[in-house]
Amino acid sequence: MSTSSNSISIFSYIRISIQYITLSSLILILSCEEAEYALDNPYDPANIDLDPPALFFHPPEINAIMNDTISVELYGLELGPAAAAQLRIRYEYEALEVDYVEAGPFFAGDNDPIEIVDEPSDGTLDIFIYYLPDMNSDQNEGGTWSIATVHFITKQIRGSALEWVQDSTRLRDENNLPVNIKDFGDGWVNVE
Amino acid sequence: MMSVIRGIITIYLVTFCFAQEATKNVSFKTGNDLAVLRFEGWAISDPLTEFLTEELRETIRELDIFQVQDRGITNEVNIYYPRTKDYWACWSQECAVDLGRRLNVNYVIAGNIQKKEDNEFLINGRLFSVDMETMINEFAMNSSGITDSLLLEMKKMAYNVSGLPVPDTLSVGTDTSQVMTTDNIERKKDWFKLPPIPTKIKALLMSTALPGSGQIWVHRKYPGYGFMGTEATLGVAALIAYYQYNKAWGGFEKNYNAYQNGSDPHTLIELRPRVIEYASDTRKYNAFMKNIRSVASSIWIVNMVHAYLVAPSDDFFDGEYFFDLEYKPDVNQFQFNINF
Repeated sequence: MSTSSNSISIFSYIRISIQYITLSSLILILSCEEAEYALDNPYDPANIDLDPPALFFHPPEINAIMNDTISVELYGLELGPAAAAQLRIRYEYEALEVDYVEAGPFFAGDNDPIEIVDEPSDGTLDIFIYYLPDMNSDQNEGGTWSIATVHFITKQIRGSALEWVQDSTRLRDENNLPVNIKDFGDGWVNVE
Repeated sequence: MMSVIRGIITIYLVTFCFAQEATKNVSFKTGNDLAVLRFEGWAISDPLTEFLTEELRETIRELDIFQVQDRGITNEVNIYYPRTKDYWACWSQECAVDLGRRLNVNYVIAGNIQKKEDNEFLINGRLFSVDMETMINEFAMNSSGITDSLLLEMKKMAYNVSGLPVPDTLSVGTDTSQVMTTDNIERKKDWFKLPPIPTKIKALLMSTALPGSGQIWVHRKYPGYGFMGTEATLGVAALIAYYQYNKAWGGFEKNYNAYQNGSDPHTLIELRPRVIEYASDTRKYNAFMKNIRSVASSIWIVNMVHAYLVAPSDDFFDGEYFFDLEYKPDVNQFQFNINF
C-alpha cells in the first residue's frame, strides 16, 4: 500500500518523463525550411516566348510621357559567336525621335566595338556594329547580351511599335558567314 | 616489420611494469571516505532499521570527520556488483572489506540492531579499515525505550565512530531533548528530502536527457558509451549537414532575391541555374538531415527503452509504489500490477 503523497510523486515523475520525451521529440521532428521558388520574372529570357537564337527589344513594352527620353536595348538571345551585325528597326517617326545609340557589351572585347548609325528613311534605323579584333580573338563568344541601346525622345502622345526589319537584320562571324537568327521579338512604346 | 612488432611488445611490457609500480604506490594512500552499510535488523522492522542507519549516516556526516557515502550509492552495491561469495550478514571483516573495496571507500561501518525484550534494544557496530583490512573499533549500546531513544543511541554511536566526545545533551537524554531532536529530524525530512525515484525511472530520465547516460549510471558502460557515441556522431553529421544547408540556403536567398528584383536578361539567365542549384542543394541537405533525425530519434527511443530495461529494479518499489510484473503460478501467467 502507498500514501497519497507517493501517488502524487509517481504522477509527477510520469509528467516529467512525458515532458522530456515531448521536448526531445520536438527537437527531432522539427526540420528546416524547404526552398520554394518560382522563376517567373517577366524579363527572364526563359519566360519570353522566343525560340533562340533570337533578337528582341528589352524591355518589350515601355510607358513614357511626352518629351521624355526612353532607352530600349536591342538584345540577342543565345546568339552564336559573331564579329559584326547590321540591325535594322522600324518605329513611328511621328511619335519617337532617335536621340543617340550606344553599343552594348555583346561586341565588346579587349577593344570597344565600332558603331555606325544610319537612318535610311523616316522611321527606320540602321545600326552597324563591328567587333574590333584583339590578340585573342576576331569575334565574340556569343550568348545572351545587349547588342546596342537606342535612346528615343518621345514627340507625340501615341503608341509606337518597335519592329525588326528581318530582311536587313543580320549577324556575321569572323569568316563573314551568317550567324543563325531564328526568331525576333518586337516591342512597344506607349506615350501618354 | 618484425623489429617494429618487437618494439611495440617491449613498449607494452615496460608500460605494464611502470603501471604495476604506480598502482602499488597509490594503494598506500588512505582517505577518509566512509560507507555505512545498512544495519541488520533482528526482530525489528526493515523501515525502522533503514531509518536508524540513515540517522547514523547523517550524524557522522554532520560531524565532518568522515566523507560519508550517500545511501543510494552504498545500497546499490548489492545491485550492481554481485559478489562471488554470498554472506548471510555483512558483519565479518572479510565481507566488510570486500564491500568497502567495491564501494571505493576507506572505511566501512557495519552493524546490527537487536530487540532483546519488549522495550530493550542492543545496537552493535563495527568500524573497518578497508585499506588496512582490519577492524578498527567495535561499539555496543543498550537502549531501553521508544524509537527516540534508539535515535539518540545512533547519534552517540556516530560520535564514538568519529572519535569525538558525546555531548551532554545526548548523554542526559531527557524527555525534552528527545522531543526536540525528533522535531528537528522530521522538519529536515519534510523540507529537504525528495521522495525516492525508482532507479528504472531515473535511468530512463537520464537517457532521455542525454542518450547513454542512464546506462552509464547503472554501470552498463559499453552500451551507454555506444548510444552516446552513436548519437554524438549522428549529431555531428547533422551539424555538418545543417552547416551545408545553411550555406546553400544563404546562396539560394541571395540569388533568388536578385532574380526576383532583376531586370537585365543576361543577369537573369545567369541567376536562373544558380537558383535551381542552390534550391536543389537545400533540399538535398534537408533530406539528409531528416534521415539523420529519423535514425537518431529511433536510436534515442531504443536507448530510452534500453536504459529502462537494463536498470535494476528497486525492491522497495515492487508491488508497493509503482507497477509490478509478477508471475502467478496458480494461473500460470504473468500479471501486470499497478499500485498507486
